[in-house]
Amino acid sequence: MIIQLKDINKTYPGVVPLHVLKDINLEIDRGELVAIMGASGSGKSTLLNILGILDNYDSGEYHLDGVLIKNLSENRAAELRNRLIGFVFQSFNLISYKNAVENVALPLFYQGVSRRKRNALAMEQLERMGLADRAHHLPGELSGGQKQRVAIARALITKPSIILADEPTGALDSTTSHDVMNLFRELNAEGMTIIIVTHDPGVGAATNRIIRISDGRIVPDEPIITDIKPQIIV
Amino acid sequence: MKNPIFDLENWREIGATLARNKTRTFLTAFGIFWGTAMLAMLWGGAHGAEGMLRRNFAGFATNFGAVFPNTTSVAYKGFNKGMSWSMTQQDIDAIRKVTPSIEHSTIMYNNYGNVAYGTNSTTARISGYEPAFSKINTAVVYSGRLLNDADEAQGSKVALLGKDLAAKLFGVEDPLGKMISAKGIYFRVIGVIGQMSDASISGRYDEAVVIPASTFRRVYNTGNNIDFFMYTASPGHKPKDIEPYIRRVICANHPISPDDDKALWFMDITEMFEMVDNMFLGFSLLALFVGTGSLVAGLIGIGNIMWIIVKERTQEIGIRRAIGAKPRDITTQILCESVALTIVAGIAGVCFATIVLAIVDHATTDPLLGSPGFVLTFSQAVGIAITFIILGTAAGTLPAIKAMRIKPIEAMRDK
Repeated sequence: MIIQLKDINKTYPGVVPLHVLKDINLEIDRGELVAIMGASGSGKSTLLNILGILDNYDSGEYHLDGVLIKNLSENRAAELRNRLIGFVFQSFNLISYKNAVENVALPLFYQGVSRRKRNALAMEQLERMGLADRAHHLPGELSGGQKQRVAIARALITKPSIILADEPTGALDSTTSHDVMNLFRELNAEGMTIIIVTHDPGVGAATNRIIRISDGRIVPDEPIITDIKPQIIV
Repeated sequence: MKNPIFDLENWREIGATLARNKTRTFLTAFGIFWGTAMLAMLWGGAHGAEGMLRRNFAGFATNFGAVFPNTTSVAYKGFNKGMSWSMTQQDIDAIRKVTPSIEHSTIMYNNYGNVAYGTNSTTARISGYEPAFSKINTAVVYSGRLLNDADEAQGSKVALLGKDLAAKLFGVEDPLGKMISAKGIYFRVIGVIGQMSDASISGRYDEAVVIPASTFRRVYNTGNNIDFFMYTASPGHKPKDIEPYIRRVICANHPISPDDDKALWFMDITEMFEMVDNMFLGFSLLALFVGTGSLVAGLIGIGNIMWIIVKERTQEIGIRRAIGAKPRDITTQILCESVALTIVAGIAGVCFATIVLAIVDHATTDPLLGSPGFVLTFSQAVGIAITFIILGTAAGTLPAIKAMRIKPIEAMRDK
């Protein structure tokens, strides 16, 4: 089990406190390809933030790859994010003034890897994404699909335990979305654990398991499709 | 983690960030550049302006005083007030005898009249000085020599010619050894002299004929009366210290009340120099004030721009945080960027100011009086640079703290 959430509660304080996550219990195994789905306001973004160690929770326990994620210092959280999690965002979140290779290599900069080595590793990742010829282009010179592949390469470079993708196809057209989902499936086939937050049923259908969130609670699991490769409907 | 200051990777990252955002980098750097340049130029400029003004007094003894007779203002020993009187040679001899702290002194006669050489003639000032006069107001000797004690003692009919007057009378001819007439009396020219600076006593050397005082008295029949007495105080004394001795001698020799403070008119140049000193103190303070103002404005500019940069880069910082940058990494980055900018731009500013000052200094250098001192000393330059670097760091601190507080979630929210 790579992710284990036990009775997670999260309330945003305010004049009217907002109880966004209510007793969330969730287990995700190594090598799963999971979609977290829900309407906006359902709490799925908060769940993603907690899974990504970007936000704290109030009660319960969260274990990521055997590490208890609770009341961490900013430094420790940053270190764990860097080591364990690869983020893929809807708006790609590439640094606009850095070229593809530098963007991909950036997480290694914060590990103190030398420039030569991290650029070599970044080139390897870009080759894997079929973007070797775009390595020295700035994000502005890349198409949406290319940007997302650069972002995925960046997520992969630290060899993380999980990939957390937040609406990874939200800004892409259907063909490119299709390509990106295929890429995720390929990565998953190589053994990578991938969690995708989405409200797009097509994306959900392309995964192996859908976790539905509604009103801060997990809707009981749908039957897990394991044997048959699902049709990609995107 | 390694110390970021000695980490080449860190500086590479900062260099790359600054290089990729050229406009932003340039604008920030220009603010700092201009701030340091202004401060440096004001500082050096104030120094130079002071030098230029001081140059006007070059060759002038700064502890110099003089005394003239004036009409009395108190009735005394049966004489009405408003009485005119004259200083005499006996007064001067007595003053010189009783006053301990006179260093150099001279009597002075002035007259105006026709001065001629051959067929060239003009009206000029004819002055009689004792040789010590050149110690009080230094003359530039263009050729020949100054008056000496032998000239004074023998009452020689010799004359120093001002350089402009010499040019008028002699053209390109060498005046040395030639005879000129001044108010009908012939003198041999022994030297051509000129003014060192603009400051002079009763007129510049350049257009005057200077002859020994004893000669003046004899040939122009001045009798016993003396127009003017000048002196410098010996080291450690002020011209003011000499005044009571003079007053005592004069009151003993003339029917002048010791309480009459109008009958003797003292001129004390040190008061003027003190005034000039105060003026320059004010000038320096003003330069410091304005300079500090521009420094503070520059620093607020850095802080402001760094603040805007942090706001503008919220998403970038959020991304960096999400992919594993620790809060300290971000603070270090922002601070190092601001320090790197400050160092480069600050040093460029000081260099620019030094060049400007050097040009101004070159333009205002006088062949006779030298440079007025439009310069920044090395320690001043280093001082400005260091101050700017320290304060630049301080100015970058607040934005850096703000940057540190940016949560990675904000990057994800910012869609």
